Amino acid sequence: MSLNDPQWGKRGRGGPPDLDEIWRNFNRRINELFGRREPGDSVDTGEPPRSRFPIGGVGLLIALVLLVWLASGFYIVDEGRRGVFTRVGKYTETTSPGPRWHLPYPIEAVEVIDFSRIKTVEIHSTNPSSRSARGLLLVTDDENIVDALFAVQYRLKDAKNYVFNARNPDDVLVQVAATAISEVVGRSQMDFVLYEGRGEIAKKVETLMQEMLDRYGTGIQIQSVSLQDAQPPEQVRPAFDDAVKAGQDRERQKNEGQAYANDVVPRARGMASRLVQEAEGYSARVVQEAEGNASRFKQILVEYNKAPAVTRERLYLDMMQSVLGSTSKVLVEQKAGNSLLYLPLDQLLKQSQAAAAPTASGDATRPATPPEASVTLDANRGRELPRSRERSDGR
Amino acid sequence: MKATVPVLALIVAALLVLSQSIYTVDQRQYAIKFQLGEFIDAQTDAGLYFKIPLVQNVRFFDRRILTLDAPKPDRITTSEKKPLNVDFIAYWRIIDVRKYYQSVTGDEELAKQRLAQTIRAILGQEINKRTIHEAISTERDKIMTTTRQRADADAKQIGVEIVDVRLRRVELPEEVLAQVYQRMESERKRVANELRSQGAAESEKIRADADRQREVILADAFKQAQKIKGDGDAKSSAIYAAAYGQNPEFYAFYRSLETYKATFRSKSDMLVLDPNSEFFQYLKQSGGAKGVPRPGSK
Repeated sequence: MSLNDPQWGKRGRGGPPDLDEIWRNFNRRINELFGRREPGDSVDTGEPPRSRFPIGGVGLLIALVLLVWLASGFYIVDEGRRGVFTRVGKYTETTSPGPRWHLPYPIEAVEVIDFSRIKTVEIHSTNPSSRSARGLLLVTDDENIVDALFAVQYRLKDAKNYVFNARNPDDVLVQVAATAISEVVGRSQMDFVLYEGRGEIAKKVETLMQEMLDRYGTGIQIQSVSLQDAQPPEQVRPAFDDAVKAGQDRERQKNEGQAYANDVVPRARGMASRLVQEAEGYSARVVQEAEGNASRFKQILVEYNKAPAVTRERLYLDMMQSVLGSTSKVLVEQKAGNSLLYLPLDQLLKQSQAAAAPTASGDATRPATPPEASVTLDANRGRELPRSRERSDGR
Repeated sequence: MKATVPVLALIVAALLVLSQSIYTVDQRQYAIKFQLGEFIDAQTDAGLYFKIPLVQNVRFFDRRILTLDAPKPDRITTSEKKPLNVDFIAYWRIIDVRKYYQSVTGDEELAKQRLAQTIRAILGQEINKRTIHEAISTERDKIMTTTRQRADADAKQIGVEIVDVRLRRVELPEEVLAQVYQRMESERKRVANELRSQGAAESEKIRADADRQREVILADAFKQAQKIKGDGDAKSSAIYAAAYGQNPEFYAFYRSLETYKATFRSKSDMLVLDPNSEFFQYLKQSGGAKGVPRPGSK
């Protein structure tokens, strides 16, 4: 039986093979085989009729075995997978999803691999001494240490390379990630890794990883590398947290200062405009008053010029009436000798002040009092100078 | 039908012989054919091959890229005599299967050991020449490339190609780590203090600036207000002067009266009067003391 028969190859390469043809082919070959063993039969029979073939025990058994053998060549490539096809160990093609058939073992083989699914790996430390770390403990360019957790998403881009070029490509990916991360972080400053440079670091790791994976021909395509978490190591984390807090404190203090400024300056502006407004008010008032007083004076002056003496006398008496009518007074005859007159001025003042208080508060009682007050005035006068409440009220 | 059993036996025997005499070499493999232990042939291409059963036998070797993962980091001293823990990963591939078989008897573990020793030695030399900073950062690439080249040259002797050597971990040893942590901590403290005092300073600056603005604004406003008031005063003075200038004597009289009125108007103002004054002339006698009263004197 020649397995290198070119017909096999043709059938394998095409779409679903013609089963009838295969069956016929096999019958022919088996007939040939048996034909050689049984000298009675003619070898060169072009198309041996099926009825002539002994359907006895042996034939049936062989046919059955063959059938099972052939059926073992069926396989289905699921969506998102690829079949990597080898004929006698040699790669021939990569098949896309769908039902397929290949020549059974040991002639052809297919390895179905998960192709388009995106796989995710988190890169953790393999070093038992750094178990406390979340990801990898890495030394930075400035010889500080950071704890960084990276995640890599990848899928396959070349099924053939993935299968044939490296042993355990997925393990290789993890190793490559670890070395790339260590290298990129080793070239960066700590603050860059921890704070501002996260995206850039991840990008650099991705580029470096892809370059390495391509060099090894792993057939893996990196989808993304992300720096999930970058922190200072646990031992120094409080100090770092405090530094971050200090940054916030600074902002807070600045904001407080700004808040103070925002309070003080507008207030000052308000105060300033009040001062100006008040000044303007004052100015206007003073001018108006001046004009008013001037006009009044001028009007009186006109009348005064007409009759100076009379007007003068009238004005004087008006004033005296106004003054004497609203003040306390004592008449003292000065010419009555040099006898010392005792005037308890302070007491009088006190009483008049005490009298003024109620008047200020009780306006309603005022109109009723005057008549009686004037009466009591005379009654009290001679005997007792204090008790001038009613008296002062009356005036 | 009597021939059935021998025929069957014959078929089985034929298949057995066949299975012993053909073999396939996978795309992933190399194969070496031996005849009674003697090297005959090496198959480096995938395909179907034949051998004589019993007399010849075949061994397979992986032709893919293989990984050599150093089990534990090596402690290497740098040029400043400081220790560094370094661990590497190497990728290698069999390129000359005959040589490979001859030198390590095809034992992968043995090959790995051999390669690991070589790489470790070269790596040690390379790092010895460099400082910690160079090993970690600036010359890492160079170390890896040189190590690969040198290791590759050596590995050729056992039929192996070193595809790549990568430094995975370049770490500071445990006892140095504590110092590093201390330094990191004190550095952060410095940063924190700096930030806090910066905050205080900036806050103070903003406040002081606000205070200054307030003073300026108020002073400005005061100036403006005084000016406005002065304007008003000046204007009113002018008006008064114009009016009162018409008769200064009468103004003095008139204004005095106004002032008296404004001054004596409360009960607490006590006037002690002499009834002999001109004002009271009619209080004593209806005729009056003299002719024309003199209101100027009290």
